[in-house]
Amino acid sequence: MLSDAGGGLSQGGGQGLGDAPLTIGGVLKEIQGLKDKFKSEDGEDEASPYHALEKATVLQECRAFNDSNVVTNNPKRCCQLITKLLHLLTQGETFTSSEVTDVFFGVTKLFQSKDHNLRRMMYLFIKEVAEATNPNDVIIVTSSLTKDMNSSEDLYRANSIRVLARIIDSAMLGAIERYVKQAINDKNAIVASSALVSGISLFNTSPDVVKRWNNEVQEALSSPNEMVQFHALALLYQAKQQDLLAVTKLVTQLTKGNTRSPLADLNAANARAAYQFLESSLRHKNEIVVYEAARAICHLPGVEMNDLSPAITVLQLFLSSPKPTLRFGAMRTLSDVAGTHPMAIVKCNEEMETLISDANRSIATLAITTLLKTGTEGSVDRLMKQISTFMNEIADEFKIIVVHAIRQLCLRYPQKHRVLVGFLATFLREEGGFDFKKAITDCIVELMSAIPDTKETSLFHLCDFIEDCEYTALSTQILHLVGALGPSTSAPARYIRFIYNRVILENAAVRAAAVSSLAKFAAKVPSLRPSITVLLKRSLADEDDEVRDRATVAIKLLASMPAAGDGEADAGGDENHQSEPVEEDALDGDAETSEAAHLMLDGLPMSFASLERAVGLYALSMQSGTAQAQPLLFSTLPVVEEHVPAPLTKGTSAASKPLAGAGGGFGGGDSRVAPTAASAPATADPTAELYKIPELAALGRVFRSTAPVPLTESETEYVVRCVKHIFDAHVVLDFSVHNTIADQMLTEASSEPELYSVVGSIPLPTLKYDQTGHCYVVLSRATEVAIEPVTFTCELHFKVVDCDPQSGEADEDAEGFPEEYPLEEVELSTSDFMAKVNVGDFRRSWEQMGPEGEVLEKFALQFRRLDEAVAGVLDFLGMQPCDGTAAIKPTGTSAGLPPPHTLHLSGVFVGSKPVLVRAQLAITQSNDTIGCVLKIAVRSDDPDVSRMVADCIR
Amino acid sequence: MGLFKKLATALGLSKYEARIVVVGLDNSGKTTLINNIKPKKASTFEVTPTVGFQVESFAKDNLNFTIFDMSGQSRYRELWGHYYREVQAIIFVLDCTERVRMCVAKEELDELLTHPDVSNSCTPILIFANKMDLPGALSAVDCMEQLDLQRISNKPWQIEASNALTGEGIDRGLEWLAEKLRGRK
Ligand SMILES: Nc1nc2c(ncn2[C@@H]2O[C@H](COP(=O)(O)OP(=O)(O)OP(=O)(O)O)[C@@H](O)[C@H]2O)c(=O)[nH]1
Ligand SMILES: [Mg+2]
Repeated sequence: MLSDAGGGLSQGGGQGLGDAPLTIGGVLKEIQGLKDKFKSEDGEDEASPYHALEKATVLQECRAFNDSNVVTNNPKRCCQLITKLLHLLTQGETFTSSEVTDVFFGVTKLFQSKDHNLRRMMYLFIKEVAEATNPNDVIIVTSSLTKDMNSSEDLYRANSIRVLARIIDSAMLGAIERYVKQAINDKNAIVASSALVSGISLFNTSPDVVKRWNNEVQEALSSPNEMVQFHALALLYQAKQQDLLAVTKLVTQLTKGNTRSPLADLNAANARAAYQFLESSLRHKNEIVVYEAARAICHLPGVEMNDLSPAITVLQLFLSSPKPTLRFGAMRTLSDVAGTHPMAIVKCNEEMETLISDANRSIATLAITTLLKTGTEGSVDRLMKQISTFMNEIADEFKIIVVHAIRQLCLRYPQKHRVLVGFLATFLREEGGFDFKKAITDCIVELMSAIPDTKETSLFHLCDFIEDCEYTALSTQILHLVGALGPSTSAPARYIRFIYNRVILENAAVRAAAVSSLAKFAAKVPSLRPSITVLLKRSLADEDDEVRDRATVAIKLLASMPAAGDGEADAGGDENHQSEPVEEDALDGDAETSEAAHLMLDGLPMSFASLERAVGLYALSMQSGTAQAQPLLFSTLPVVEEHVPAPLTKGTSAASKPLAGAGGGFGGGDSRVAPTAASAPATADPTAELYKIPELAALGRVFRSTAPVPLTESETEYVVRCVKHIFDAHVVLDFSVHNTIADQMLTEASSEPELYSVVGSIPLPTLKYDQTGHCYVVLSRATEVAIEPVTFTCELHFKVVDCDPQSGEADEDAEGFPEEYPLEEVELSTSDFMAKVNVGDFRRSWEQMGPEGEVLEKFALQFRRLDEAVAGVLDFLGMQPCDGTAAIKPTGTSAGLPPPHTLHLSGVFVGSKPVLVRAQLAITQSNDTIGCVLKIAVRSDDPDVSRMVADCIR
Repeated sequence: MGLFKKLATALGLSKYEARIVVVGLDNSGKTTLINNIKPKKASTFEVTPTVGFQVESFAKDNLNFTIFDMSGQSRYRELWGHYYREVQAIIFVLDCTERVRMCVAKEELDELLTHPDVSNSCTPILIFANKMDLPGALSAVDCMEQLDLQRISNKPWQIEASNALTGEGIDRGLEWLAEKLRGRK
């Protein structure tokens, strides 16, 4: 990815310097030029050689590569052939593996050519198809490329390095390393850049080798050529980003020296000094430098509005640049900023509205989605109008992005829901693929729960949609939803026609869903019961088993319910709304529906996914014999936590992701995301590992396991992480140790927290190089004492044994010497004992729980912004946010203090005690100090638990 | 091919293109041998085992040679087949000190001779019994017998003892080859 980005950049900077580099984009021009040349010289060229190409014909023609005469004497023809091949590939034509092999070997024969254009096309082709080709075949070009790396032709040197970087494995890299190192300081800028860019892409597979090039890269940093500087810096950053100190040093070195390509990536630690530097770079004469500086500023962690302003101004100018790359880059950065500081870019609105009609659809989509984020309430109608024309011109994937943006907009301006939901509904009725329709449906459904006012109209839109919906999955989903929500609307009878139509017209799956939906109406709305029962009876003769079964069950259950009219009397006298057929709240409905009806009405108390995991864990704990046989009930299932993809981030990242690949941006910034993902390799479920250990069987079942906490830096000799497993009366600290020293072996590793209640520990017998192992410490917890946060100091004790680096076996007579390795402290906080578990309906559970075990508290916190405060409280408590309250409604105005925010949280505390929290957060100002006031109400069945939870706030 | 090109070839205005593929077991001296044939020997950086293949092109005897130097390591041998198509000649290099692997060389030669692109063509095959300077080297005649070359009847072949380091014997082989090629032009 980065190498492509680099390619794009070097194109911008490199064209004047000689040979264009190796990217599809760069070649498009080439093709155009070639096409013209063919016309004038050979005269055997049809109108457009790339129109309606036949794969078979092209493959046939490619046999010409085997003919030395053609290759030497008619390179243009070969170029054209490769272009055709690439055209086919980019059009998505698929080649069988024997076709790929054939063509690939054909193309390798072009190494004999001395024609520059043809050679370039050949390199390009190999680079593009390398991944699709059998790796055993691809290596055949290694020697030829190595030879080219030593050629006197700059073009050969530059391109062969790039191709080699794509195909080489780390074993082979050693053999060519010195040539790459040489090339980094090549006097030709294109060659040097190619080597550096290759370094960047090789870094992913062989970081150690690339790190050895430090000296050469440092030297390239002082190259007179800006492009080389840039790539050198990008590579240096890549190599050092784990190491904060080194990056700081690098930045200081750069800001002092007069580097002409100041494109550093920054880090909070040195943000201030660097900001000034970046700010001055905004006035640099090279627009790419300006862009990168602006982009860096926009992505500074915790950047403030004032600091953003100069960068935004620059980007605003770029929006009207004639260069699409600049427009795209600027637009993309602005769209990122819109996620965090929408107000900062309002001033660009006018330019962005112009971009909606940009010929480049990626730019237009970004403009639209950004406008949707920054638009004011007043501009919503106008925006929607502009979008409707635009929507018909773009592909589904872009439409989905727009749909997500509209959802955000609607959450921000709930008053505008009529226009916005109406707009979404229009597109529901138009052409579109499943994903697009699903995105709209999901948005509408989500908005229904976020903005209750939209419920009735949205239900109608959805009913309207399933009248003519070709997607079974969506139809059934909507039918289920209508069944759940429809009965409590003002006029439930209106939905019956829509649903019954489905019973008549649709396939079996939809019919079955419709029958269930009807049954729900009948169960909840007594006045409709007789007529629905009549409708259901017709399905008793349905040709499909499932439909018949559902109808039968429903009719049976309905018959057992009291008839309309006398229901209230039977159910007991405390109902005070005598003849009202509609139940506003399902709670009140309970009295009326019989025991049997709840079979039909109540869903599972947890999601299917959670249920599946819970049952899986249940089975595991039973297998290992850790748990005494318990009946399989919802209440006895192990607690499973929600995996939290926060709704807010989902929306924003979805908006930027599909576009990321389209343009690639200009520089190294994207690489920042990588290390976090890479440093947390997917490990096997630690809980499952735990159940395999016989010594721990007596502790019973794990209540919950925390996310792993690193106890060492990620690049040390031994990488240690700790997972805390909470049991009812014990805590197991699970230290996973990763040995990164090649010729040492750890034996008897164990780590010891200095806590008196250690009841046992399980050391790790041996740990070889590059292996990860676990050692455990078991702590017992006195259950009658309140839980308080405690901190343990830990040390890793082990014996180091020298071993043979090849075999990994210990040397014969190696005794080993004991060693200690200090670790960061392990903190066991109260929130570790809390499982993030969703309750279905927060309000209802809150009422049910009652105020008996409630604890009320008020705190003054240090947060200066509402979103930080919310994140902080979530972190303190370790609970699951409900009702979408983790997301803060943007206020639309930047001035003044935001209105208070209410959080609803749920969780299960150790000992399987459900806990609910309502918290109100308000940003306050007194004497110029901004702070945050938190009012919190904790409910659970046990006041002690409530107290402990409230005490989590620090 | 355009009309002009055709004429040019017929009138001999353009040099004849000869594509040659050089095969043989690893370490037999293919790369060394080709380096020796090359007119400008300046660019002789040390010979390392070839990975995959390398191409050399140069003019000699009024012929434009394009030589594909294939790697002899076992993992690449099966890829030789991709390069037989439309070659004008095949050179097979033997290390004649390696008596033990002579049978492996024979197997590879058999493979070559039965390859569809080779079996029905009359592509000339030149075999170099290389490293003749070393003690214990088999003679060209011994090699011929070990490889059972006499059975090749449908195409011209020749075996020549050579020393790739000094170039001894190579020219004789190439002259034979040039004659065969000119005869068929
Ligand atoms: N004494 C002697 N040594 C030779 C002769 N020909 C090649 N060598 C040596 O044999 C070794 C291998 O030569 P290469 O040319 O790399 O062999 P190759 O056939 O290309 O090997 P691969 O590329 O691995 O298939 C080198 O050390 C050469 O110096 C020869 O005629 N006489
Ligand atoms: Mg070789």
